[in-house]
Amino acid sequence: MKNKLTYLSIFLCLLIIAATGAVNAYATTDSLTAAGKVYVSKITYDPAVFFTDDTGTVTVEVTNGNTDLGVVVNHATLSDKNIQLKSGSYDSTSNIGPGKTYTFTFTIAAISPEGTYYPTFSLSFRDAESLFYRPSVQVDNTPLKLTVSEKPDAFAQSKKKTVTVQVANPRKNDVRNVILEITGDGVTVTPSKIYIGGLAAGTDSTVNFSVTPDQPTTLVLTLHYDNGYNSHTVATDLPIVFGVDKKQATPIVSNIQVKSDAGIYHVTGDVNNAGLETANAVTVTSLAPAIPEDPYRTYVVGALKPDDFGSFEVTFSAENSARVPLQLSYKDADGNVYTSEQDVKITALPSSSQKSGNLPVLPIVAAVIIIGVFIGGWVFYLRRNKK
Amino acid sequence: MIGDIRMKRSFTDLVLRPNAFFAGLMGEKESVKIPALILLVSGIIGAATAYVVSGPSAKMMAGLMPGIETIIMLTAVPVALIGVYLFWVIWTGVFYGLSYLFKGNGTFKRTLEVVGYGSLPQILGSLLTLVISMLYIPRVVAPQLTNAAAENPQMIQDAVNALKNNPAMMEYNQIVSIVSILFIVWSANYWIFGLKYARNISLRDAAVCVCVPVVGMILIVLYTLIVM
Repeated sequence: MKNKLTYLSIFLCLLIIAATGAVNAYATTDSLTAAGKVYVSKITYDPAVFFTDDTGTVTVEVTNGNTDLGVVVNHATLSDKNIQLKSGSYDSTSNIGPGKTYTFTFTIAAISPEGTYYPTFSLSFRDAESLFYRPSVQVDNTPLKLTVSEKPDAFAQSKKKTVTVQVANPRKNDVRNVILEITGDGVTVTPSKIYIGGLAAGTDSTVNFSVTPDQPTTLVLTLHYDNGYNSHTVATDLPIVFGVDKKQATPIVSNIQVKSDAGIYHVTGDVNNAGLETANAVTVTSLAPAIPEDPYRTYVVGALKPDDFGSFEVTFSAENSARVPLQLSYKDADGNVYTSEQDVKITALPSSSQKSGNLPVLPIVAAVIIIGVFIGGWVFYLRRNKK
Repeated sequence: MIGDIRMKRSFTDLVLRPNAFFAGLMGEKESVKIPALILLVSGIIGAATAYVVSGPSAKMMAGLMPGIETIIMLTAVPVALIGVYLFWVIWTGVFYGLSYLFKGNGTFKRTLEVVGYGSLPQILGSLLTLVISMLYIPRVVAPQLTNAAAENPQMIQDAVNALKNNPAMMEYNQIVSIVSILFIVWSANYWIFGLKYARNISLRDAAVCVCVPVVGMILIVLYTLIVM
């Protein structure tokens, strides 16, 4: 009997509490008017535009437009079959004071293909009907674009060349932490990772890196970037093919003249740049069996632009050699050193020391003939006149 | 006018009949005016040649001192002009002295006169040399000395050697040597006839007096060519 009374008392209490709550939740004219002035003041998606399967947040700011009445909300949620709510609903009761803004943040996942979607944000008032709002969200799978904008015609083993890449953002939203990573077998890339940072929508950025290949290979250019909190990558290949650069500087030695003085050979000539790029730091020197001697062991011609030319003079000694190789070297814009060799005959002109043994025959013969004709003529003339 | 006609006829005689020319000259009063004019023409052409030839040397020295290039080229002109007259006197002195050995008699002025007339081919020789110089000298690439070279005699010597050993310069020297030998021999023929009358010696003695120094001169030219 005592237990029955106890259960009845509890039931009555609960009934009273429930009855009291029903009385509090009851919509009055004032509460309905106050709820009508509550509105969604701002919607923010991060990222602004989703890739399919991207996870992000949506922040809904609800403002109470009343100046003297607060409103009580007890439920807020976001729902759509294409946009998956991952963080759950707001189920606690909250009071939004007059003129105040309350922020609801939801974690969502774009599980849909490309398109524009309208998830429903619903907000339940304790003393009025619910508020519904359908903010649009875009799902776009357009990736960042990676373009090799400048590269040499051909690569050469152990020669450093510069490659220029353009990174463009054709998306409608900004992306963050853009990093270009370059990898490849048998190749040295400097720098191998380039941090570009943020890239605003519709903008691009240009980056340079140098490539020194040891073998023909393929460079993989991978662009890492964050769309909101989601990492994405886009990659492109750059084949490294060895060959001759059609535009490279082509210094050619010409107008070579050789003379010698006291055993020292002086070789003079011109270096013409027959290529389409500038040859920097052009130098000329002699190679073995020649031994470079002062004053011009190595002659620095300097920079030669296309079609430009410069004169040089090198001095060396050489014994028992009819030909001596001249080495011509230059640097390209990346500092790579190129060398070429050209043989020079060193028997062109006699040295002064050799001259005494190597007479100018023609003038001597001519002079002897003139003297002979002169004296002989007079001898003949005198004899004839004597008779 | 009459004088001009006589001069024209005389120059023709000098070129074609030198014996008759100098025989006739002995009947006239001694005068070195026309010979001096002949040498003046030769000297002016020679001065122009010297101006051209001194170009590479002047260019070589240009870096040593500002204005030295002009000084060298302008100095070469009077030196060449004076040199022609100096050699006139020297040749005359040598012929005059040698003819003493053959008991020659006659004034120095008369000898000077005939040597001057005999130098007429030198005008043509100078002209030819000038043309050759204008063809060859621009092809000569002269090394340029700097201020630093002025303190280093070896560098100067190297530069001079480089200039001398320049192929164009060497070829030029050889050609000019042959030309000068050719024209001095041509003049020598006239000098023999002239000396015979000026010093009143036999043609044979005059030939010896002229041939010996002329051949000596040719040998000196050849020696210079070989040593250079």
